[in-house]
Amino acid sequence: MSSSAAKAPRMNIRQSLALVWRTLRSMRTALVLLLVLAMGAVAGSLVPQAGTSDARIAAMFRDHPLRARIYNQLGLFDVFGSWWFTLIYTLLLVSLVACLIPRTRAMIRNLRSRPQPARELDSMRHYAERSVRAEPDRVISGARRVLRRRLFRVNGSNGSGPPSLAADKGLAREGGSLLFHWAFLLILVGIVWGKGTGFSGLAVIVEGQTWTEAHANYDGQIHEGRFFREDHSGVQIHVDSFTARYRIPSGIPEDFVTHAELYDAEGRYVKTADIRVNHPVEVEGVKFYQFGYGWAPVIDVRRDGEPLASGPVVCQQDPTPKGVSPLQLPWNCVVKLPTLRPQVGIQFRLWPDSRALFALLDKGQAMPMITEFAPVMTYTAYRGDLRAELTQSISQLDTSAMQPFKDGVIGAGDRVKLGNGVTVSFPDLKQYTVLEVKRDRGLWIELLAAILILIGLLPALYTSRRKVWVIAEPDGTGSRLRVGGFALQRRSQFEEEFAKLVDELSEPFGEKVNAP
Amino acid sequence: MSIDAWSRLSTDAFNVALYAYVAAMLGYFYFLAFRRTVVWRIASVVASAGLAANVVSVVARGVAAGRVPWGNMYEYSTLLALLVVAGHLIVVEGIYKVRVIGGFALAFAVLTMAVAVMFLYVGPGPLVPALNSYWLKIHVVAAILGSSLFALGCIVTILYLVKDRREQLAAERIVPIMGGSLELDAAPPHFEAGADEPVGGTVRRGLLPAAAVLDRIAYRTIAFAFPIWTFAVIAGAIWAENAWGRYWGWDPKETWSFITWVVFAGYLHARATSGWRGRRAAVIAMVGFVSLLVTYYVVNLWITGLHSYAGV
Ligand code: HEM
Repeated sequence: MSSSAAKAPRMNIRQSLALVWRTLRSMRTALVLLLVLAMGAVAGSLVPQAGTSDARIAAMFRDHPLRARIYNQLGLFDVFGSWWFTLIYTLLLVSLVACLIPRTRAMIRNLRSRPQPARELDSMRHYAERSVRAEPDRVISGARRVLRRRLFRVNGSNGSGPPSLAADKGLAREGGSLLFHWAFLLILVGIVWGKGTGFSGLAVIVEGQTWTEAHANYDGQIHEGRFFREDHSGVQIHVDSFTARYRIPSGIPEDFVTHAELYDAEGRYVKTADIRVNHPVEVEGVKFYQFGYGWAPVIDVRRDGEPLASGPVVCQQDPTPKGVSPLQLPWNCVVKLPTLRPQVGIQFRLWPDSRALFALLDKGQAMPMITEFAPVMTYTAYRGDLRAELTQSISQLDTSAMQPFKDGVIGAGDRVKLGNGVTVSFPDLKQYTVLEVKRDRGLWIELLAAILILIGLLPALYTSRRKVWVIAEPDGTGSRLRVGGFALQRRSQFEEEFAKLVDELSEPFGEKVNAP
Repeated sequence: MSIDAWSRLSTDAFNVALYAYVAAMLGYFYFLAFRRTVVWRIASVVASAGLAANVVSVVARGVAAGRVPWGNMYEYSTLLALLVVAGHLIVVEGIYKVRVIGGFALAFAVLTMAVAVMFLYVGPGPLVPALNSYWLKIHVVAAILGSSLFALGCIVTILYLVKDRREQLAAERIVPIMGGSLELDAAPPHFEAGADEPVGGTVRRGLLPAAAVLDRIAYRTIAFAFPIWTFAVIAGAIWAENAWGRYWGWDPKETWSFITWVVFAGYLHARATSGWRGRRAAVIAMVGFVSLLVTYYVVNLWITGLHSYAGV
C-alpha cells in the first residue's frame, strides 16, 4: 500500500469535526433524527412505563424475568428518561442549533440588505412585457407604489441603463420558521428550569384544619428538582369543608370541591377559593390541585376521663377490585395507644352510610355510599406490642405481636367501653381532602414557547418567498415595461399573483398591449 | 322536547347520515369507474343531505346531554365524520374542483361512523369532572379538526402515489424524439432545486387529476392541519396542567399525539429535503396517518391511561 493512498482518506481532527458539523446541519439528518425520535416514543408507548404501569412491570418481572431484565437494562421501562432517548433529542437539538445559527445569520444579512437588481428577466420562470404610454421614470415610480402597497420590499436601481426596480416579499416565511425552531430550544429551557427549581407532593387536610407548605407536612414523598434548595414557600391553606357530588343512582362522580382559604407566607389572608378538578388555585406560585379525598372520623379515646388520643383520623380504602365501585367499600383506619401497658391498637372500618353495612349483612347486597347517613364503624381492639420501631405507618397496624380482645360496632355519637377504664367515642365524622401541591416556575416559559411556535408556524407554512423585477425601457413616446419574477414556494399560486401584478403595473399607463 | 326525544332524534339522524354516506360513497365510486357526471352530482347532493343529518345528530346529542357533544369516543367519531365530509364537500369539491376523491373521503366517514355505532356507543350523559373543562373542549375541537384534515390529506396522498406511478410508467413509454423534451405540462411531476412543490403534469389524463396537482392538494391540506394539531397538543397540555397538575406525562394518548406530530413534522421536512420529496415524503405522510389512527382508536380502546374515558 503506498503511503499516499493511506493518507488520502485520513482527515485531521479539524476536518472530522467539520464533517460532523456539516452532517448535523443537513436537513437529511434532522429528518432522520425526527423519525428516530418518533420510533423511540413508540417503544415508550408499547412497553409499560414506570410510574404509570408499575403493576404491569412487576407482572412482567414475575412471568418473564429474562425479558423484563433485558428491557430494564435497555431502559425500556423508562424510555422518556433513558440515556438513548435523551441522546436522540439532544442530537436533534444540537442539529437544530447547527441549522439555526447559519440560517439566522443569513436572515439578518437578508434583512439588512436590499433586493438586488437583475437584468436577465426574460429567462425567469415568470416574465411579461407590456407597452405603456408613459415615460420610464413615471412607470417605475408607479411600480414602486404598487409594489409597496402589496407589501414588497423595493429597491430602485442607481446604475446606468434604463430605470428598474428589484422587489421581494415573504421574509416572514423564513422569519417564522426561525422563530418556532428557536422556540423548541426554549421549551427545553422551560422544562429544565421549571422542573429543576420546582417541587411537588401531596397534602392531606381534614376539614377545619390548616396546612402549611413545608417539608415536614407532606404526606409521603416530595418530588424535588435538582436545583431545589429547600426554599419551601410557607404558604398556608385552611380547609373549611369538602363536598363531593355524585349522580344518583349511578354513583358517577360529578364534582369534588375543597372550600379553602389561602394565606401567604406571613400568614396574611389572600383569598377564599373552591378547589376542584380542573380548577387549581395558586398562591405565590404554589398551586393546589384537587387530587383525592376520604373520610376522617373524629375518634376520642380516654382512660378514666383523661384523653389518650383525640381528633380526626384519616381513613383509607383498600384497592378496589375490578367491577366494584369504591363507593361500596368501607374505609379503614387505626388508632394506636402506645402509652398503655400492654400497648393497644384499634382497627376501625367506617361505613359513612350505615344502610350499606346493613344491606350487606341482611341481604348480601353492595350499596354505594354517596352521602353521610348515620355513620357507623366496626372495630377490633388488639393488645400486645405495637412494634412501633418496625411499623412507622400511622395507617397500618402490625398485629403479629398482638391479640384481639374486643370487637363491636360504634355509631356516630356513641361511646363504648374497652375495659380497664378505656372508652372510645365517635363524636363526629369529617371528610379530608388530598391536594397535590406543586410549584413549577418554568410554566410561563413553556407557554411563551408554545405561543411563539404557533405564531411562527403560520407564516412559515402559509406564506412564500417571492421576488419581482421591473425594468422600464424607453420605447418611442412611451416605454416598454418588462417584469420578471419567481416564487420559491407555492408556485402555482404565484402564477395568478404575477399576472395580476403585471396588470396593476401597466394599467394606469394606458393601453394593455401584449408583447409578441 | 324531552331529553329522551332529543336523544332519539340524535340516533335517528345518525342513521340517516350513515345511510346517506353509504349511498353517496357508492355513487362516487360509480362515478370514478364510469365517469357519469350525473351520478357524481347525485352523490354530492346525497352526501350534503347526509352532512345535514350529521349536523342534526351532533346538535341533538349536545342538547340531550346538556353539554358540548364531544365527550366520548362515540361523539368524537360522529364529529370526525362530519368534518371529513364537510371538508371534502367544501374544500376538495368546492375550492379545488376535484371530484374523484369523494368515494375515499366518504368511505372514511362511513368506517368511522360504523365503528362508532358498533363498538363505541354510549348514551348521552354527564362528563366525569376531569373531562368537564373549557380547555378540553378547545383541545378536542382542534384535535378532531386536525385529524380530519390529516385524514383528508392522506387520502389524497394515496391517490397521488397511484397517479404518480402511472405517470412515471407512461413517461417511460414515450421516447423523446431527437433530443426533444417532453412538454412541461404533460411531464410527470418533478422538483426544481429549492422548490417545495413539483412542477409539470397540469394536463389531466385519465381519471385522476395530475400527480403534481394531487401532491399539491395533499401538501396544502397537511400543512393546514399541522398548526391545528400543534395547537391541539398545546391545548391538551394546558388542560392536563389544570386537571392533573402536569402538562406532560407521557401517558399513551400524549405519547401518540406526540408521535403523530413528530412524523408530520418529518413529512414537512421531507418536502424540503432533496431526495425525499415526492414518493418518500408521501410514505412518511402515510406513516403519520397510521399513527393518527393509533392515537385515535388503539390508545383509547386497548392501551389504558389517564385518557381512558368513563364509558369508553
Ligand atoms: C426539533 C425538531 C424540529 C421540528 C419539530 C421541526 C419542524 C419543522 C416544521 C414544521 C417545518 C415546516 C415549516 C416550513 O416549511 O418552513 C420545518 C421547516 C424547516 N426545518 Fe425544521 N424542525 C425541527 C428541527 C429542525 C432541524 C434540526 C433542522 C436542521 C437541519 C431543521 C431545519 C428546517 C428547515 C431548513 C426548514 C425549512 C424548510 C422550508 O422552508 O422549505 N429543522 N421544521
